[in-house]
Amino acid sequence: MNTLIPLSKNIVPVVANFSKPRWELISRHYARPTSFPDFFKNPVFRKEDQAPLVESGELATLAKAPYKPPGVSETSSAYYDPLVNKVINHVMEMGKKKLARSLVEKAFENIKRKQIERYHLASSDAEKAKIELDPKVVLHKAIENSKPLLQLTPVKRGGITYQVPGPITENRSEFLAIKWLLEATNDKERTIHFPEQFAWELLDAANNTGKVVKRKQDIHRQCEANRAYAHYRWQ
Amino acid sequence: MRWSPSLFSAANQRSARRPQVEPVPFQMLLPLKLKKTVSGKNDRQREAACMQEMAVMFACFKKSEFDQQQCLKEVAAFQGCYKEYKEKASSLRQQERQGILVPGEKKLTHRQMNQLLKAFPPQS
Repeated sequence: MNTLIPLSKNIVPVVANFSKPRWELISRHYARPTSFPDFFKNPVFRKEDQAPLVESGELATLAKAPYKPPGVSETSSAYYDPLVNKVINHVMEMGKKKLARSLVEKAFENIKRKQIERYHLASSDAEKAKIELDPKVVLHKAIENSKPLLQLTPVKRGGITYQVPGPITENRSEFLAIKWLLEATNDKERTIHFPEQFAWELLDAANNTGKVVKRKQDIHRQCEANRAYAHYRWQ
Repeated sequence: MRWSPSLFSAANQRSARRPQVEPVPFQMLLPLKLKKTVSGKNDRQREAACMQEMAVMFACFKKSEFDQQQCLKEVAAFQGCYKEYKEKASSLRQQERQGILVPGEKKLTHRQMNQLLKAFPPQS
């Protein structure tokens, strides 16, 4: 779309607007298409994921099939963690990944500082052993504790909408956990910065306390209250 | 002036239909045999999955005041049930798509039934 679109009778010629980048000119109501056709496979870039493929001998066939290139952040580094990457993507706004990553890493640093302080304040070895010093482990634990087990789905029966409890998929429950953690974090004073609050929320959730765990339990309570409608669910 | 009411005497007072005369002749509006396919409408009404496990989990939650840590066994049972259900459903869907028929299967889906009816068409 550089200068002019070829004219047909009803089409007004579109002159390229160079003041804005191209993606801001297009209003999109559909998922961004990749430049790769459907038969391109997703890349397997981690050693952990490659190992079972090597064992089963699938790698030889996969290596010959066309696959998409991995993203810039998707590496086989020992420091790469898919869940951390996912959280970073959820924190990200307007594609500013560098900023999102720095925020999450700052939060990790805050967790580390707080936990080390606790560690040195602890008097006995038994207490010290209980304190988790690895921020990534804290994040994993926090998300695991925030995951809801059930969800309420609105079902219309006889003109009345019932909230029907039912099981939730693994992906959706992980998504909700991350979303709730971020919502709880953003519900803060203006003077407190994101990394600080996020660190607190993660530590709280990892400890099975705090706003997010309470929210999860509230959902479970609602599901329990509406358990009489559970048979309205159709699967 | 109403001139011949008896000529147009109706089945009821308002409509001017001819009264039906017994015996009523039979008209064949549709062919008198079953269709060679079955409809898929009934397959939608399937019961909700994992109700038993969910009830057990709710009972445990109520007892422990919604502390998940005390109900690990019940939670695992519920999640395992749902996972199994999903796997079963997806494998069934895949079989349907590929048109695989399990021999000796009692409960058939409408697609499998239609496949069988197509392979062995009813004698008419």
